[in-house]
Amino acid sequence: MSAYQAGSMAAFEALYGRLAPALLAYLTSLARDRGRAQDLLQEAFLQIHRSRRAYRPGLPVRPWVFTIARHVWLMDRRARGRRPEITVPGVHGAMAPTLPELPVPPEVEGLAERDRLTRALSTILPDRREALLLHHVWGFSFAEIGQMIGIRADAAKLRSSRGMADLRRVLHATSRGE
Amino acid sequence: MAERIDPPPALREAIARDLRPIAPLPPPARRLAVVIPVALALLVASAAIFGLRGDAPRLGVALTWLASTLQMALGLVLTAAALRESVPGTTLPRRVLGVLIGTAVLAIVLITTLTWFASPTRIASGHVGFVWTVCVAGTVAGALPVLAIAGWLVARAFPLRPRVAGALYGIGAGLIADAGWRLFCHFSDPVHVFGAHALGIALAALIGVAVTRPSAESR
Repeated sequence: MSAYQAGSMAAFEALYGRLAPALLAYLTSLARDRGRAQDLLQEAFLQIHRSRRAYRPGLPVRPWVFTIARHVWLMDRRARGRRPEITVPGVHGAMAPTLPELPVPPEVEGLAERDRLTRALSTILPDRREALLLHHVWGFSFAEIGQMIGIRADAAKLRSSRGMADLRRVLHATSRGE
Repeated sequence: MAERIDPPPALREAIARDLRPIAPLPPPARRLAVVIPVALALLVASAAIFGLRGDAPRLGVALTWLASTLQMALGLVLTAAALRESVPGTTLPRRVLGVLIGTAVLAIVLITTLTWFASPTRIASGHVGFVWTVCVAGTVAGALPVLAIAGWLVARAFPLRPRVAGALYGIGAGLIADAGWRLFCHFSDPVHVFGAHALGIALAALIGVAVTRPSAESR
């Protein structure tokens, strides 16, 4: 990141290569739409570029980058809220018949096949799912999650543990239903 | 998920067009250091220009200089919180924001109450409007230098919640300005302090929000 701040294009490309996959997965989990997440990813990197001065060398890069990506998603959601969206079934948004591929916490990977896990994850409350994924998939500490979202560390921990409990409950219920 | 991906050509071109070396932001404590001399100058300015309040001997050092220094320090803490809030990834939880603003309100209530009990002074009827106008204008005018510097420091970062950052440094600037102004204004009537002086602080907060929001949204 320091090399990028010093004006190195190679450093930007390295940063993109290292962070884009995780950011794309995070944005997909927020937007629940892979196509929109890809657009948001490009916008997030443009915002990262415009605000690269605000990164302080020595601090972890990932919380800074993920917070900007989350902000880009929030702005996009707010903008979409302002103008009515024409939703074509099967193309975008909640009416899409197939859910985007969400990342799955390693703790529950063995509990069911990936498709069922993804569907179960999609049913969890968004704020719980976000904390769960940030901690269990991308390895952020609860203190980091708190600073990214603007909540206390113990509130982030509570959201994550409730998300995990919800996920296990949904998986248990669907396995009994089969 | 673990595959490495390259930036799309359009993004790469956009970045390459604008890529130049930039100096990273200093830590919040160093950025706050720019505000401290202004805050100290404001603390002594009103008393130096207009004179120390007439009831200062009755109040003693504790309820004049010490109380104002404490209020100024709280203003600086709120300004530091705004500087921290304006860096992505270091967002303040709502509870911390509540504690910060609550502490500032409690400090003003405590200082005002103690001052009122030590030296109760009321505005003579017929002068209320004039005194209120002077005190509101004095507090807001005193807050302007801090608002300008803190606003510039916040805008140089990347406030993701511009209203929160603006309100924090706005209240901070108002507290700093009022810390100096109360050393001149000798009316300790709580109605006047919680009315005119608090209104000055609230207006400074509104200016902070009004200035920060457009600058953040123009990115």
